[in-house]
Amino acid sequence: MRRVAIVGAGITKFYRNVQETPKELAFEATKMALESCEMKLSDIECVVHGTAPDAFDGIHMKGEYLSDGSGAFRKPYMRHYVGGGTGVLSPIHGWFHVASGMFDTCLVVAEEKMSSAYPHPAGAFLTIFDHTTEQPLYPTLIWIFAIEMNRFMTTYGYRKEDIALVAVKNKKNAMDHPSAQLPAEITVQDVLNSEIMAWPVNRLDISPTSDGAACIVLAAEHVARRVTEKPIWIDGVGWALDTAYWTTRDLYYPDYVEVAARQAYKMAGIKEPSKEIHIAEPYDPFTYKELHHIEGLGLCKRGESVQMLLDGVTQRTGNLPCCPSGGALGVGNPIAATGVMKIIEIFLQLRGEAGKRQVPGKPTCGLAQAWGDLMQVGTVVVMRS
Amino acid sequence: MALIERFQKTTDIGFWEGQIPMSYIYTVGRAGEKFFRELMNGKIIGAKCDVCNIIYVPAKIFCERCFARLEDKYLEVGTTGTVHTFTQCYETYDGMRKETPSIVAVIHIDGTQGFLVHWLGEVEFEKVYIGMPVEAVFKPKKDREGSILDIKYFKPVK
Repeated sequence: MRRVAIVGAGITKFYRNVQETPKELAFEATKMALESCEMKLSDIECVVHGTAPDAFDGIHMKGEYLSDGSGAFRKPYMRHYVGGGTGVLSPIHGWFHVASGMFDTCLVVAEEKMSSAYPHPAGAFLTIFDHTTEQPLYPTLIWIFAIEMNRFMTTYGYRKEDIALVAVKNKKNAMDHPSAQLPAEITVQDVLNSEIMAWPVNRLDISPTSDGAACIVLAAEHVARRVTEKPIWIDGVGWALDTAYWTTRDLYYPDYVEVAARQAYKMAGIKEPSKEIHIAEPYDPFTYKELHHIEGLGLCKRGESVQMLLDGVTQRTGNLPCCPSGGALGVGNPIAATGVMKIIEIFLQLRGEAGKRQVPGKPTCGLAQAWGDLMQVGTVVVMRS
Repeated sequence: MALIERFQKTTDIGFWEGQIPMSYIYTVGRAGEKFFRELMNGKIIGAKCDVCNIIYVPAKIFCERCFARLEDKYLEVGTTGTVHTFTQCYETYDGMRKETPSIVAVIHIDGTQGFLVHWLGEVEFEKVYIGMPVEAVFKPKKDREGSILDIKYFKPVK
């Protein structure tokens, strides 16, 4: 297998209700990524697209619809979809194209426009549930997160007011992110006082409805060295899926994230993730999910993520900054684009180009992770400078 | 950074309304045929994999772990269980506020490795806890139609 580097990146602002069509969003991110590494569309040999349910944009087979905005005119093009895990599977998908020797360059584009769906895009999730045993109960996505959060809290004795600190941290981090939709300085009390959605989940525990797109440019080593002095290498990739029967899972621990992480760590030669990973972007669509995923990624022992948070370890200035971008809670959550936003954050941090968001200590190894499908896919990418 | 103007409502700018107009008739499947017919009789049916020693609920025609066929391994599993985890939901599936919140729980069916998601009834939210023993409450027999809603909800075992 050949080494694969990220050499360029682009990202739109994340907003709710943008004027741009989905393919215009994809175009803006893709154009920006190409310009960031001074490449032209003609330098690109293939395109990979990640985008979540067709039901969001309301365009059936939207991969095909988004192809021109993603720079795929008359190029080899593939779309894939694993729900919220899509954004971190997209770079893995692109990595295959280049690592295999098939292509020297690849655009990885992720787009989501959730605001087209009304009255609320949450309605699109009804039909991901089993059509006969679950849909008649009109399940919501928030149910299953609340149910998982309850089990996570009860198993370890975590307190809601401690978990709320994740929202405080990430929304504050997002104040330095030019794409951010919900940057804010808030307090734990603000989170606890926000509208209750499904106990124990309040409004400020949840990432917003967002529109946005993000893109990275991948290149084989010989091309990457020519294009940039600071290639960021994709050194480990992993992905795994748990049982399709979500109710049968333990829920308090994300086994699928652990399996994906172990695969990525093995490939990257990482033995002690909590020491060797300097910076992480775990997927944080809900406050507790950041902690849940930190445990699954082995960045702390099981049951210790809240202490890690309280000790400030995951702050931007801590020993293991988590979501220095501001995460899905702060920057926003246009599902597939969020994962690529996280990849881009690690890319910029490892290059020392994260501006006001730059973590101290010159990190050289980071990871991005996403999660999705019916709560059971884990996708992990380990990157080094 | 692409510049994008923000609009509070998409209807303030040029738009076109549309749907993906399609409805569906979902078959319940081979295992579902058994499961839902017996539900009308007030029974919950699982399927046992002897190789993996797992009882699935609802019944399935195959074991997801070893791919054994389970169609001759259906069994009645009783209608009691414990609360595996729960929530009280204030939103409808499409993001609207509910007039009265509902309690939802994942129920671990006794003596099995199977779970059902359903509502809890005849209990106050504050009294619900993980590990609480519960039992299925069925609709009157004449109202049952072979749906998961033939179970009205689960209630605490007195």
